[in-house]
Amino acid sequence: MRDYFQSIALELFKYIQKDEFLIINFDAEESNFVRLNKAKIRQPGNVKQISMSLSLSNRDKKNLKSHLRLNGSFKRDLATLIKTLNYLRRELPDLPKDPYLLFSKSVQSTEITHEQKYINDEENLDYILTNISGLDLVGIYSSGYIYTGLANSLGQFNWHSDYSFSFDYSIYNENNNAIKLNYSSKKWKNEEFEISLNQGIKKLKILSQSPRTIQKGEYTVYLEPSALNEIIDMMSWGGFSYKANKIGTSPLHLLSKGEKSLDTSVSIDENIKDGISANFSADGFIKPDKISMIKGGEFAESLTSPRSSLEYSVAHNASSTSEYPYSIDMRAGSIDDDEILSTINNGIYISNLWYLNFSDRNNGRMTGLTRFGCFLVEDGKLTAPINTMRFDDSVYSMLGENLIGLTSNRKLLIDSGTYEERSTSSARLPGAIVNKFKMTL
Amino acid sequence: MKNEFLKQINTYFPSVDYCSFRFVNKYTNIISVTRNVLEPIEISEDEGVMVTVIHNGGYGYGASSDLTQEGILKAIEEAKKWAEYSSGKLVHVPHPPSVRIDGGKYFTHEKDSWGKESNKDKVEYLMQINKSLKSKPTISNWGASFRYNKIETFFTDTNGSDIRQNISYILPQLVACAEYKKQIQTRTFGGHAHARQTGYNFLKDSDLINKADQIANDAIELSMAPNCPDCKVDALIAPDQMILQIHESIGHPLELDRILGDERNYAGSSFVSLDMFGKYKYGSDKLNISFNPSQESELATYNYDDDGTVASKKHLIKDGILQRPIGGFYSSQRADQNHVACSRATSWNRPPIDRMGNINLEPGNSSFSEMIASVEDGILLETNNSWSIDDYRNKFQFGCEKGTIIKNGELKHITKNPNYRGITKEFWHNLSMVGDETSFSILGTANCGKGEPNQTIFVGHATPPCLFREIDIFGGE
Repeated sequence: MRDYFQSIALELFKYIQKDEFLIINFDAEESNFVRLNKAKIRQPGNVKQISMSLSLSNRDKKNLKSHLRLNGSFKRDLATLIKTLNYLRRELPDLPKDPYLLFSKSVQSTEITHEQKYINDEENLDYILTNISGLDLVGIYSSGYIYTGLANSLGQFNWHSDYSFSFDYSIYNENNNAIKLNYSSKKWKNEEFEISLNQGIKKLKILSQSPRTIQKGEYTVYLEPSALNEIIDMMSWGGFSYKANKIGTSPLHLLSKGEKSLDTSVSIDENIKDGISANFSADGFIKPDKISMIKGGEFAESLTSPRSSLEYSVAHNASSTSEYPYSIDMRAGSIDDDEILSTINNGIYISNLWYLNFSDRNNGRMTGLTRFGCFLVEDGKLTAPINTMRFDDSVYSMLGENLIGLTSNRKLLIDSGTYEERSTSSARLPGAIVNKFKMTL
Repeated sequence: MKNEFLKQINTYFPSVDYCSFRFVNKYTNIISVTRNVLEPIEISEDEGVMVTVIHNGGYGYGASSDLTQEGILKAIEEAKKWAEYSSGKLVHVPHPPSVRIDGGKYFTHEKDSWGKESNKDKVEYLMQINKSLKSKPTISNWGASFRYNKIETFFTDTNGSDIRQNISYILPQLVACAEYKKQIQTRTFGGHAHARQTGYNFLKDSDLINKADQIANDAIELSMAPNCPDCKVDALIAPDQMILQIHESIGHPLELDRILGDERNYAGSSFVSLDMFGKYKYGSDKLNISFNPSQESELATYNYDDDGTVASKKHLIKDGILQRPIGGFYSSQRADQNHVACSRATSWNRPPIDRMGNINLEPGNSSFSEMIASVEDGILLETNNSWSIDDYRNKFQFGCEKGTIIKNGELKHITKNPNYRGITKEFWHNLSMVGDETSFSILGTANCGKGEPNQTIFVGHATPPCLFREIDIFGGE
């Protein structure tokens, strides 16, 4: 795949005219998707897709981009790309100048290739199906290669390829209560899957007790890393974006202006170095290993795209145009796993939150629901599952004045999202114990 | 490429119990002008094929963007391989259709085609809209965009069926934010609700320059308005919020694959169970919901779904009683229910699943002024900006851009951050008045997410404004 991309890019650059600048972005994946329901197969299949984007600009700072799905056949694809290049060239003169157009002009080639020997998905599935027999299991097994590349007409070439798999699943009991689990890695190990499954089965047993309905009000809660991830994800909807904070649509704009703060234990980085996404932007800039976005509860550095840098005359840090984080890394706290229940004492253990949205974006207030494995904690013990509850609270309360502490253990959560293509986002997070967490319905 | 594909495709069918080819070519063009500057124009062309094989009690698919002979043969092999592997391991053995659809067709009517207007003219129009959005100094952020999508699908199978459909739609989006005392309020042109199967003429006919001016004025007024009070009052819900209410608390819970458990790991389940169809009282007598793939210009109007099933209008809820689920050909086999043509895929690279098509609330007989006049203490809620509902589609909380207080049958002042919450099972029983034909609005959403692997799809919702009694309303901060 790398050689196909490099050779077609080099050939296409021969068609570039004087004073033109071309960037080619490459994305491809070869994936198996096996969907399961009731511990049996629902829909299995394979997807192979290759695409390239051509971004052509000229000396007048005019730019036009086209994204194309391709065959993977050099001759046919080159003909399609040349036709597209000619179309872009024809359209450019009619467009206005783009005052915020900025591409990397210094050549910084990089290559990261994680070779992986052939993985036998059928063997993995045989193992899964044997071990889940008798369970009510639902979810998806996804696996395969993901390729990302960039080449520009100045001679820069960047390549990132990786193999990974994700088995994202839930196990249900007869009361329709469930535990959510995920086993994601680069190399399948039967024993690792078995440990994950058995932990889930153990937790499911506690769920077999009759669920309790709690009243609306304020509770001390423990948010597992996957539940906290949902809150951090909402904060990321413009929260770390330079532009969104500048125009005021960010849920963290009061934090960025220094008018509000979070607890001093809250520090959040964009950690590309230890994540799984490519280290280069679509514009050809190399991303820094780490960007400290929140430090000691205060807003530190925004994610700033090249476009924002020109619009607001600030330095950029190679962020994407959306200025969204891809490799969240939140510093650990000091609460050990065996102290979680005693710290809560009486409250709620929340494994997952679901369907979050803002109730007042200006003030960082959000709402959402409990889902999968949420328990009542009484006298420091898990006593019963709870029925679904809605929360509505502000980030300045949950991670600010009412944050009791963060756990010393962190978890790497690889995004199992597959919209258009398999996601390469991830988050490494601790759990959080929060006081006065507001349940509303 | 496409013609070559179509000429050859019938020679590719493997020797299996059933096989279908679904070829999709999807063109997307998005032009955005933000704060008077043209953003990079997005042009995207996505093309590929999905091969589905049902054989010997197994099912599998192979999807590829490689439309060379070699690529298609590989996709067939993948589909056959997965069908072989899944034989005896499936949660349900699908029984393929036996009908042949000869020359099935559907084409969106674009009075003025998207391509007729040049990029230059579209950009100029968006610049004018931007100027109108930034008509006052307190507007802190503004922008407008046009999105055009064209999806050409060709479906053929071993029954000899042959279906061609071209669906195209346009989505205009306008936004203005106003700042007052460090609080930002945002007003839009119906969020992303104004997506329609139509031509470029829709954008010209929609008077977007005047709409932009209205939106900017609303944003400024909202930024200085009081927060919505916490109260339990009547809620008159405008169509651009009603579509979300229908989508989340009727559309999704009636999807049969959710009821059958397929979505429990991701998009969630449903409080609806199979035994409720035909007898469950979903809402008041005034509630009539249809699956209507024939509503002209609505987003999900088509003649066939992606399994090649013929589409026609059916009632899902009639006079408040639940009639049938949103279940496609294969799901309905699993549940022993009547099907609707709702099996849809986002593109060639995802398999069809149960999806909303056009899910509409049928008009009643109340005029808008009659509904206002009937309210002693209430609020008019307009334009969705926040949505959240539990995984069984019961406990919801929705936020709107604008609330207008109603007192003694008259519209009074506006309020910011209006939110409301409720429980689906109870909420629809509070439906007391339904707007008439004159207020029936054809709207939709272009991005409904669901499925594993994940898929987004466009769904239509047409509805009049509706009045609900005694709803829990609250504001921000």
